[in-house]
Amino acid sequence: MKSTRKTKNAVRLSYSSITATEEKVYPISLVNDRPLVVVRRVDEEAKEEPILENEALDNEALENEVAFETTEEAPNMEQAQEQAFENEAKKEEAEPQEEAFFNYEPENAQESLDKEAFEQVQKQEPQKEEEIKLDPIQDEQKPKKKGFRLSLTEKRSLSGWLFVLPFVIGILFVYGPIIISSITFTFVDNKSIFSADGYEFVGFANYANVFKEYEWFSDTIVDAMQDLILQIPAIVIFSLFMAIILNQKMTGRAVFRAIFFLPVILSTGIIDALDVNSSLMDSMQNSQGGIDDNTGGEGAGGIVSALDIEMLLSNIKLGTDLVKIVTDLVNDIFDIVSRSGVQMLIFLSGLQSISPAIYESCEVEGASAWETFWKITLPMISPMILVNAVYTIIDLFTSADNRVMQAVFGGYGSVYYHDTNYAMAGVMMWLYIIIVLAVIVLVALLLKSVVFYQRRD
Amino acid sequence: METTKVKKETKNKIRVDFERAPLSVRLKQKFLSMDFLVNVVFKIFRFILLVGVSYVILYPYIAKIFASFMSISDFKDVTVILISKSPTLEQYKYIITDNGYFLALLNTFLLSLSVALIQTVVCALVAYGLAKFKFKGNNIIFFLVIFTMMVPQEALMYAMDTFFATFSKHNVIGMLLSSMGAIGEYGFENTMAPLYILSFLGLGFKNGLFIFMLRQFFKGVPDELEESAYVDGSSTMRTFFTIIIPLAIPMLVTVFIFSFAWTWTDDFYSTIFFDSTYEGAMKYMSDIAVVPESLEKYTNSGTSYANVYSSAITGTASILIILPLLIAYIFVQNKIVQGIERSGIVG
Repeated sequence: MKSTRKTKNAVRLSYSSITATEEKVYPISLVNDRPLVVVRRVDEEAKEEPILENEALDNEALENEVAFETTEEAPNMEQAQEQAFENEAKKEEAEPQEEAFFNYEPENAQESLDKEAFEQVQKQEPQKEEEIKLDPIQDEQKPKKKGFRLSLTEKRSLSGWLFVLPFVIGILFVYGPIIISSITFTFVDNKSIFSADGYEFVGFANYANVFKEYEWFSDTIVDAMQDLILQIPAIVIFSLFMAIILNQKMTGRAVFRAIFFLPVILSTGIIDALDVNSSLMDSMQNSQGGIDDNTGGEGAGGIVSALDIEMLLSNIKLGTDLVKIVTDLVNDIFDIVSRSGVQMLIFLSGLQSISPAIYESCEVEGASAWETFWKITLPMISPMILVNAVYTIIDLFTSADNRVMQAVFGGYGSVYYHDTNYAMAGVMMWLYIIIVLAVIVLVALLLKSVVFYQRRD
Repeated sequence: METTKVKKETKNKIRVDFERAPLSVRLKQKFLSMDFLVNVVFKIFRFILLVGVSYVILYPYIAKIFASFMSISDFKDVTVILISKSPTLEQYKYIITDNGYFLALLNTFLLSLSVALIQTVVCALVAYGLAKFKFKGNNIIFFLVIFTMMVPQEALMYAMDTFFATFSKHNVIGMLLSSMGAIGEYGFENTMAPLYILSFLGLGFKNGLFIFMLRQFFKGVPDELEESAYVDGSSTMRTFFTIIIPLAIPMLVTVFIFSFAWTWTDDFYSTIFFDSTYEGAMKYMSDIAVVPESLEKYTNSGTSYANVYSSAITGTASILIILPLLIAYIFVQNKIVQGIERSGIVG
């Protein structure tokens, strides 16, 4: 074993000796008359100059460096570089020769090798190899890399800006001005918006007027809030429930998924607007023999009549408030279902990201499905609940069939179209947006204290 | 317990000898256990629930479809429920001819396709910048993205209208464009160009949501992928287009579908940038949802059934509007779920 290792090393050594002898022949020998044989160098310098072993690696750059070092009386840089170039050039020519040497050189090297020195070299070898690996990086690449890294961070942040550039331009030159002019309208006398003479600023008069001239506004906001307090949990819970069911394996899952996400694609924009003003659904329900409950529910009222439930619940002697809550939810069922599409998608993605291994181990430990839901699914999905709650608030507040939006921007009798009071509509909208922001921050803070974040690495 | 010896050979030619309990015992064990019962009850309950909710979702569409075949006499007749007594196609016929359905279809298709493409690409770029690069102001820009989601578009209706109507007067971009002769002296009038501008700047309808979704997706892509690309000497843009984009295809498809569908049914931008009464104005899908001239004689009477009839007509129009979308949806609905499932959106 040892012998083979020796010969292996000897091969490497002899290889380096070849390059060294060649160095002797070429310019280096001009500087330094001594014949450069590796054995002698091992003798003399192995202890202080472990880099010598570098020659074993056929790293050209390193060889040049070593050649440089062996000369000891280093000539100026230019000369050294010239030498290096010449070295390289000659070596390329000499390469086949090298291979020829390779075959018989080992014995030669071993003969000429001082055995003690060889053993020393071998002992030091592990250390040396480390140094060899570290040194070239430090000497050659590190300064280069350092410079690259510096420019890299700059480059990265620059290209980051480049990527978001469209949006930044949009904010600066389009969205920003639009927002500013929209806010400006709220401080301007409404009549002056349409006149050519320019705007007539009235300060906060419009804001004061909201509560004087439009008393219904504050009531509407309160009503809208009440609706939302009901609808937000309903939508989030419903979509979570449905996502869990749609995540289970069953026949016809694809069909049900397709149906459940249908409103996301279809119930928007013009279709939504048409449904809001449509009297078709009501008449359909009426002709089906349902009771005209005047709740304006869009469809679905045919399944469960709100009045029936109301009677049922009041017979059980539940409080009238609770009855109202339940009937409201039943009336809104189409709204709730059609608004939970995106939330369902988000929950589905969250459920998919929970590792099945956790469920498996739960099953092994004997946890029931009920326990698994409360201990695993709910905590793991809680970040999604936050996302969905915020999304639902935004979606409900900004939807066209929201009470406030109807009153301000809806069709007949609205502030915007009927009164054409753009200033007042702006005031209402911005007050509304501030309230929405406050609600979102409040909900986000509330939920954030409950949300469980899985530690990811 | 009586048992019978059975010899069986499986598909893979493995012979098995075993003792088997009689059929009645086996059936009892299988079907009379509590587990089975619970399972069956649960499955039935789940199925009923799913069918019920599906019915709630589909009911408006079903009602519209049935009503679309009704004639005016069916609305006068109280006994008519869903199934028409004198079915007719005149609602479809007049919407297609009077309201110029096919022209609107073509226009809307071209508009939706281009807008959806632009929005997908721009949102992907912005989202990638926000997700993978740390620079000063990153968080501010992300907040602004969320802010654009929060402001209802109606709130900016008038401001947006005047902004684009006076685009060449008060805006750097507008001045640039008008000096190039691209737009008129004042700004845009009766053109969808503002929508394209908004799309190019990531400010279109619900683009904040798209950016948010894509950002979450890109955050889930391991950094090592890009780092190895950078080490191999790939530029940032090249890395984005050759490594990140192929990975993000399912998510991009989802965003594209949303963008396409929402532009298709859009009635906001086409009304504020567009005066559809203007002579020679481009017709879009939102413009065909009106009572056709040939049917106005029935709906103008002011009676309650006339109102229902006009609702039925707009319902028919909305069926015609969503029909192409619906056909496309059947083919791509799998992709939507896939895209979101793989995104791993995590707050």
